[in-house]
Amino acid sequence: MKKLVSLLLVFTFGLSSCEKDDICDANTPTTPRMVITFYDNNDPSVQRKISNLTAVGEGMDAATGLSFAGVSTIALPLKVNDTITTYKLTYNAASTIPSDRNADVLTINYTTQNVYVSRACGFKTIFNVKSVNRTDPDGDTVWMSTVQLINPNIDSENETHVEVYF
Amino acid sequence: MKHTLKFISSICLLFSVFLGQAQDVPEISKDKKDTEIKTKKPQTETVKTEVVKEVKKDSVVKTDRYGLRVGVDLYKLTRGLYDKDYKGIEFVGDWRLTKKYYLAAELGYEDKKTVDDRLTSAASGTYIKGGFDYNFYQNWLDMENLITIGMRGGFSTFNQELYNYKIYNPNPYWGELPAIDEYHKYSGLTAGWIEVGLGLKAQVVKNVFVGFGVQLKLLVMNKEPDNFENLYIPGFNRTYDGSFGVGFNYTVSYFIPIYKKKTMASEVVKEEASKKKKP
Repeated sequence: MKKLVSLLLVFTFGLSSCEKDDICDANTPTTPRMVITFYDNNDPSVQRKISNLTAVGEGMDAATGLSFAGVSTIALPLKVNDTITTYKLTYNAASTIPSDRNADVLTINYTTQNVYVSRACGFKTIFNVKSVNRTDPDGDTVWMSTVQLINPNIDSENETHVEVYF
Repeated sequence: MKHTLKFISSICLLFSVFLGQAQDVPEISKDKKDTEIKTKKPQTETVKTEVVKEVKKDSVVKTDRYGLRVGVDLYKLTRGLYDKDYKGIEFVGDWRLTKKYYLAAELGYEDKKTVDDRLTSAASGTYIKGGFDYNFYQNWLDMENLITIGMRGGFSTFNQELYNYKIYNPNPYWGELPAIDEYHKYSGLTAGWIEVGLGLKAQVVKNVFVGFGVQLKLLVMNKEPDNFENLYIPGFNRTYDGSFGVGFNYTVSYFIPIYKKKTMASEVVKEEASKKKKP
């Protein structure tokens, strides 16, 4: 009888201890970023690595910008509470010679949808891109010669959404 | 996940221990019954006068009371007093079928708000559970306590409300956003499950029982809403990644005696009757 009661107590303690097992697993696919893959202008079938690039969001501090080096694919987070996100992409940003640097602006228009993930993770936002526009407000020539929206539905980071030729 | 697994496996172990006990006890009782019957047999054969028969009844024959036991879950009832996010009630009842088997059912209503790190939701609805309890406790003399192992099938109709949620963004370049207050109501949800339960009922005052029970539940049917999940099911309680759930109750119930049965006497009479028929 005493044994039974103590076992029941153990059972209830076990119950309370497992309540906190609620952390969102980092491997769970949640809000995706927009994936851009760079291709060679001269040979469109070949991916081209960017030696060094910074992406600074509109209204954000340049120091906190995202930098990429030696990759042909980058991923940019979109604003989940807006339908427009603008990034200034500076090619050769690390160069000390000002004429080597070249900044183009990408404006992404999209709609959002909030999708349930789990109790621990909450919801995620997926995007449907309406358009990607490249502008050159600085007046230095454009370095991205072609910007192509390949996959307007951004629901994972496993595929390329935008192709850029330079 | 690891913890959950550990927890589930430990429950299984716990239940297997109880199951082991459950199997042990009846075996002993069987032996006991055999010896009792054996010792009694010569007596019934020799008995001719009614006086002797009555004496024997007092010493050996046990009277079992049969009837309906109805009660309420005190835990659910009192939780509403100190937990503002919870309202609930559960009525419990059982009907004694045989010496050891009881037909049992629970009927309840729950309304629970759950505040998780990333979302706040509520579930409310009614549920019904039905099944049986097997009492494997050997009572002394005329005591009527129970230690039972039981099975139930449960069914709930309910609705869920989502009050607010957060967007999980692993790359918060644009800053972490506050929770989005967007109310949704998901109605017409249903769920079904089976459960195995261990229970303990002690008679504290004549006909008044205090009981405690724990249940391990397995979800078998679950109608989920679009773009959300059943995070809490009335009667089933909180849902986990798998389909397992747990529950417990603390009941006070009243036994309404309907009729009495003299178990030993009837068994002997039956045996005698069959003997008489044979030749």
